Order: sequence, then structure tokens, then C-alpha cells
Amino acid sequence: MIRALTTLALLALLVGCATTTPTYALRLEESTLEVREAQTRTLVAPSEIAILTATIAVLQDMEFNVERIEKPLGVITASKITDADSASEKTGLFFLDLVCALGGSDCGAMNSAQDDQQITMTIVVLPSLARSGEFRTRITMQRVVYDKMDRIKVLERIGDPAIYQAIFDNLQKSLFLEASEQ
Amino acid sequence: MNRQTRTTALAAMLLITGCATTPPDVVGAGTQLETRQAQTREFDTLDKAMTMRSVVATLQDLGFTIDQADADLGTITATRLDTYTMRMTVTVVSKTGDRIAVRAFARAGENAITDPATYQDFFIALDKAMFLTQNQVD
Repeated sequence: MIRALTTLALLALLVGCATTTPTYALRLEESTLEVREAQTRTLVAPSEIAILTATIAVLQDMEFNVERIEKPLGVITASKITDADSASEKTGLFFLDLVCALGGSDCGAMNSAQDDQQITMTIVVLPSLARSGEFRTRITMQRVVYDKMDRIKVLERIGDPAIYQAIFDNLQKSLFLEASEQ
Repeated sequence: MNRQTRTTALAAMLLITGCATTPPDVVGAGTQLETRQAQTREFDTLDKAMTMRSVVATLQDLGFTIDQADADLGTITATRLDTYTMRMTVTVVSKTGDRIAVRAFARAGENAITDPATYQDFFIALDKAMFLTQNQVD
């Protein structure tokens, strides 16, 4: 028994500090083309400044803070922290806590409920190389969801094409508004 | 204390302290030359700006958002959130003889990526983006 425990402890020591490199971490996925299409639109605008201004206005419309802009590369990075409360999740966790309480223990399940989320977005706006007056606009987004104890609950890329479509719709509207204001 | 008890105690202590104290890892692991070779590719192109745009496009293809980009210094830092957080810094430098050197460095969580195959994958993706950019394909 003692020998088994010793072996186990030594094994744990060996694997405890082991590092893992995710395989294929930087390999293009098969869905790359599809994802790129959902994230990209070609928009018509009078100038690069006009489309960048319209893009920044849309970010403000969507309650984002602009973090960085690198104009020569057309890169705009913005982020926002919003509420990530989910009523249905909280109901489930409430009942879990209730069951625990009835059993005489405190599970603290409610502490693991989603609380805040930080969304980061990069928009790259570049003049089309093929046609003047057209701009290739590509968006990538990801988010971190924190629970009530400020622990990271979810780390993910935002992939839903409908969300990207909604942003591009807003951008089209913004371009129209900017143009009509001039 | 008999021998067996002593061995067990020692193993338990090792288990507890095994990962505990580490000096600040400032200079990193690996040799400079090997690391540079795995992380760097040179391209036959005159255009630093186009190369940087291709790097941004590649990073977006790979699901990153851009934290910081500087066209003058040729540096781009990006983050990808997944089951692990990956951060990359890519530098684009003009070389003599109409060549551009691109160096990529990636970190997954607390581990620096040292596997040359991972960088190879990045440069394959960048090659494709460079081709699309140079051939003016939208």
C-alpha cells in the first residue's frame, strides 16, 4: 500500500509540472473560408476616412469603447463589459442550492452563475485592391464570461453569423447617415 | 521513523513543493538561434505594408482579435480566447535585397510555443494570405 502511494506521489510529481502545447493551434481550419465570408463585407464609401468614421460611430452605437486604432493598417480594436446574467441559468442554480440546503449543505451554486462578459472586437477596414471606392471590412470577436465570484466561466470566439450580419447592417445604416449629414 | 514511512513522507513533500518555488523566468528557454530560425520566414516582396496587412488577415483567419498594431515598427500583437488563451506577437522587418522577414512568437496560457510545426502552420496560413494580397484577390 505504502509503495503504491509512493509511486503515485512520484508520478504526480512528474506530471504535475508537465507543459502541454496544443497541437495544430495555428493551423487553418477547414471552415476558414466559410467563417471569413460571414465576417467580411465589401462596402461602398466616399473615402477611407468616411468609412472609418462610420465604423467608429457604429461601435459607439453598440456601446463599445474604442481601444486602439492603427490607421495605416485599417485596424480598430474595441471592447465592452456588459451584463451576462441569465434568468434561466439562475433559476436552475437556485433549485440546485435549494436541494443542497434541504440536504443540510451549502453548495453555493449561485456563485457560479454568469455575471459579466467582456467582448473584444477587431474591425479591419481596407481599401479594395481591385476597385476604388470599395472597402473590405472584416470583423472578429471573442468574449470572456465571468461568474459572480469573478472567475472565468467561458472563453470563446463569437462565431454566430447572425451577429456579424447585424453589425454590418448597422454599419450600412451608419454609412448612410454619415453621407446624408454631409 | 522506519524506512517506508520516511520514503512516503519524502514523496509527499516532493509532491507539495514540486511546483512551488520557481525563479522569475525572464530569459526563457531554448537557444536564440534555434528559436529565431523556427519563428522566422523571409519573403520576396518589397512591400512591408502589404505584408503587415497579410499578417492581420492571417491572424483574423486564425480567430484572433488584434490588441495592438504599429505599421511603422511592424509589430502586431493579437489574442485568441479558446479553451486556452493564445497570444501572438508578429514582427515584420525590411531586410536588404528586397526581402521582408516575418517573425512570429506565440504563447498558449503560461507556455511559450516552441514546437516548430506550430510556427510552420502559421507561415503556411500567411503564405496563402500573401498570395491573395499580392494577386489582388478580394
